[in-house]
Amino acid sequence: MLKIEFGAPGVVIVEGRLDAAQSAAAQTFLDGVNGNVVLDCLALEYISSAGLGVLLKTQKRLKPSGGSLRLTGVSHHVHDIFKYAGFDQIFAIEPAA
Amino acid sequence: MTGSRSFRRNAESLGAIVDFTAKAFEAQGVDRGLLPPIDLALEELFTNMVKYSSSQADVRIEISKIEGGVQVTMFDEDVDFFDVSQARPVDVAEPLESRKPGGLGLHLVQRLVEGLEYEYLPEARRSRVTFRKTRA
Repeated sequence: MLKIEFGAPGVVIVEGRLDAAQSAAAQTFLDGVNGNVVLDCLALEYISSAGLGVLLKTQKRLKPSGGSLRLTGVSHHVHDIFKYAGFDQIFAIEPAA
Repeated sequence: MTGSRSFRRNAESLGAIVDFTAKAFEAQGVDRGLLPPIDLALEELFTNMVKYSSSQADVRIEISKIEGGVQVTMFDEDVDFFDVSQARPVDVAEPLESRKPGGLGLHLVQRLVEGLEYEYLPEARRSRVTFRKTRA
């Protein structure tokens, strides 16, 4: 299951599994954000290529108007996925402590 | 010992596949640290089967403990040839502006698992995908 919601101002919290079954709902939510956004991934257990596509589409939309998505609290496993996908080149990523 | 189950060919089966995989690992004493890459490989390959085939057949998944890890086999029926082990390379160094969604699924599978093999029986229109993951 996936839970995605607003946290503090400028922060979106994503929890659970961002997989093919949940990516449409995640995309709908992120289509509503603008500017500089922190995606708190501390409770993000899993992401697949469908979830990567959601983040990529969002970043491509935000960047031209000066905004961006910053990924924080990223677990070791999820960070590996981001690196394999080259996302460490197109997102600011902060690993979990 | 092998865990085996068939799944309806739609995205709604992903949750059941995750549950099945976790239970197969537990029943066979497979290292749970190997779950994340196996979960991801199964999702990517299963999603491929759902998206790119008009077959209505269920997909069968078998999970077996092997020396140092686990082996997974996926059986598909009434399908055309599509060798997932030969997916075209993805340039993950492309800048954001030219990155297109899609194509990452099989790239991730190839990075995460070992021994990805594809077998196709044209007379039966049946495919078999096998991969494994072991502790380094």
